[in-house]
Amino acid sequence: MLYPRIIPCLLIHNKGLIKTVRFKDPKYVGDPINAVKIFNEKEVDELIVLDIDASVEQREPDYKLIEHLAAECRMPLCYGGGIKTVEQAQRIFNLGIEKIAVSSLAVEQPGIVAEIARRVGNQSVVVVMDVKKTGLRNRYELFTHNANKGRGLDPVKFAVQMQDLGIGELVINSVDQDGMMTGYDHKLIDAVKEVITIPVTVMGGAGSLQDMGEVIRKHSIIGVAAGSLFVFKGKYKAVLISYPTPEVKEAVFKEYFHP
Amino acid sequence: MITIIDYGLGNIRAFQRVFEHLKVEVSIATCADDLVSATKLILPGVGAFDYAMTCLNHSGMRELLEKKVLSEKIPVLGVCVGMQMLASKSDEGVLPGLGWIEGSVKRFNPETIPFKTRFPHMGWNSVIPVNHSPLMNGIQSDSRFYFLHSYYFEAVHPGHTIATTIYGAKFCSAVQRENIFGVQFHPEKSHSNGVKLLHNFANL
Amino acid sequence: MEKKNYQVCTRCVMDTTDPAIRFDENGVCDHCHDFDNNVKPNWHTDERGEQQLTKLVTKIKASGKGKEFDCLLGLSGGVDSSYMLHLAVTKFGLRPLVFHVDGGWNSELAVHNINVMVDKLGLDLYTEVINWEEMKDFQLSWFKAGVPHLDIPQDHAFFATMYYFAERHKIKYILNGGNFSTECVQYPMEWFYYATDITHIDDIRSKFGTIPMPTYPFSSVFRHKIYLKYLKGVNVVKPLNYMPFYKDEAIGTLEKEYGWKSYPQKHFESRFTKFYEGYWLPERFGYDTRRVQFSSLILTGQLSRDEALERLSRPAYDPETIDEEFVYIATKLGITPDELRGYMNIPKKYYWDYKNQQNVFRLGAQVMNWLGMEKVVKRKQ
Repeated sequence: MLYPRIIPCLLIHNKGLIKTVRFKDPKYVGDPINAVKIFNEKEVDELIVLDIDASVEQREPDYKLIEHLAAECRMPLCYGGGIKTVEQAQRIFNLGIEKIAVSSLAVEQPGIVAEIARRVGNQSVVVVMDVKKTGLRNRYELFTHNANKGRGLDPVKFAVQMQDLGIGELVINSVDQDGMMTGYDHKLIDAVKEVITIPVTVMGGAGSLQDMGEVIRKHSIIGVAAGSLFVFKGKYKAVLISYPTPEVKEAVFKEYFHP
Repeated sequence: MITIIDYGLGNIRAFQRVFEHLKVEVSIATCADDLVSATKLILPGVGAFDYAMTCLNHSGMRELLEKKVLSEKIPVLGVCVGMQMLASKSDEGVLPGLGWIEGSVKRFNPETIPFKTRFPHMGWNSVIPVNHSPLMNGIQSDSRFYFLHSYYFEAVHPGHTIATTIYGAKFCSAVQRENIFGVQFHPEKSHSNGVKLLHNFANL
Repeated sequence: MEKKNYQVCTRCVMDTTDPAIRFDENGVCDHCHDFDNNVKPNWHTDERGEQQLTKLVTKIKASGKGKEFDCLLGLSGGVDSSYMLHLAVTKFGLRPLVFHVDGGWNSELAVHNINVMVDKLGLDLYTEVINWEEMKDFQLSWFKAGVPHLDIPQDHAFFATMYYFAERHKIKYILNGGNFSTECVQYPMEWFYYATDITHIDDIRSKFGTIPMPTYPFSSVFRHKIYLKYLKGVNVVKPLNYMPFYKDEAIGTLEKEYGWKSYPQKHFESRFTKFYEGYWLPERFGYDTRRVQFSSLILTGQLSRDEALERLSRPAYDPETIDEEFVYIATKLGITPDELRGYMNIPKKYYWDYKNQQNVFRLGAQVMNWLGMEKVVKRKQ
């Protein structure tokens, strides 16, 4: 039986790991290499690592760091941040990364995204949608550049466009729920899942395994990603890496996964 | 010396690192000369069948590869699309496969799959070893491995199937015919289960 | 200085890799005598110890009345601090502020163990995450200095953070899992120099550091011992010395009660310390910290000398994994394995080759001894 994927997500800023709340107030969390090593030792399903500076600073991905992170992973690793060309994507795949994630590139140059998918296979291309509620009517809008650039795009329509483009996976990231640890944005997830058949991973808001369970209960096969949940502990937000043990995972699936 | 065939597709580095960790001598082949001293081979692969076959056919390694595998009988492990290439043809494309193990590659029947997201088969799924292959030594029934594919290998002879997995229906997730092995999942990305399997291959 | 011939104690397993070791006519070393004469007579784990412990716990509780916490405990994930926490909460009924200092080298085991302890005991954890870029440069400075005491960056951060929390939360009692049972033999000064000698640290940094360290928690021995202890009344107490404490039993309890997982050797909660004590120190300097640890266990009847010698005959590192560990340490420090190997081979230096305030420390310890303020007798060099 195929199972849903439970995925830690790490953000890199100034070479270090950070966690944000609604994409603001970065809190330093530590060294990326050791964190990835610990997640690998905990045998996580998959890992997402996003360099949040690269696009904003318009610089190349940090290939040395990517290589070191890939070396620590015996599970699929998805890397995103600053990927703008097919050559960059290819170079990153050659370092041992399974999937690359793009955000602003998908909005600004979808043709290049399609080309990358064609070259390496669509399964390796992931589009991350950072979504925020805006305007008087609190409508969902797609944002890029760390939620600083509103694109005036409806995420549901955009999701369909990306699916048609031939990408392999969509990550729905709620900016409003980011770091809040009060649960995922179900309305947003449901709206996108309604029209999409390619794999989806959701992010933003997980405060407990129960929050993840609720998404799994509704959508069965899905990726549930979290940053804060796997990096913070307790009310003082102590920094301590965690991940459900196989026994705890089984229990979550038993309770929530009924395809 | 385990030689990983680099014909342009697949996570070569990940395989290399696992074998380095296991302290097994490993090399990477990008041309026929690199294959000469190989005593075991890994044929990785991701992406589309036709594209993979085209890359392999143009790599300059196919001829020597076939000699080593079919005449010299050195062990070869095809991974993911690398396993599918062992078949004679695939529903995904028009090009012929290597035809090293009798079978063809089929698409999953969407009607049997109980999920809304049906393609690809992506994530961790259970593998059940059958027919006692040395490749699966010590791998418990129901061990999970990472899968990422939409097509699967259908073996003509049931005796060639060495592991099955359920996705909708039961399908063949690993094959063996003599020195030729194939796994649909990614052992290089399946944590300790994957390392165990690659260790078994190295110890053949 | 005349070179000593190799000699190992006939009672424990300390040997001449401790440059200051002295042997009597029976080949028994001064560590053993120090234990017999200074430690054992003052070490009570029977009713006397229990009385002292009860008094101490009462004092701690009183000091914490009306406050959120009555004591402070640094949790590394290792046996001593984990067991100390277990007792503090379940046996003594204390309300500790539990903190962990993340220097970037946590092993998965350490993280797991901290998690299970804190979860089961229902405690709230504080962490101090040292900026890795600063830590990396700081650690490299010590490699470049060529000295044995490479773990000062982690140790110093721990002490400074501990005293920071004590001061911030006005906590008077710091629980320390240190104990005579497994630590009665002291590490030679040549191996591990004081982690709180700011003069020494500053000298190393000025010579070998390359970036500013604005967020790393620096503190000084004056702040620790004098200001905080005597002016603010902060005490470090070691409750494990007032009761029978056996390492194997402690591990068994932790495993059973919490699903705690044990480490192959002391201090292996940190990947760096594991490499440093298991490989770097023995291979570069010939210092095997297991000698000190095993000697303590021998003197307290928890290990036989024969077994200690047998274990010492095998390397302190795991030959199967050392190559990979070496590469990881180098990678994390931002250097190549060859560069790391290079540091293995530079001329050996010691604390006295750099500025230091050892005299002040020694004088301070003697004064405090004389005033009856401290029991531990630091070795006369």
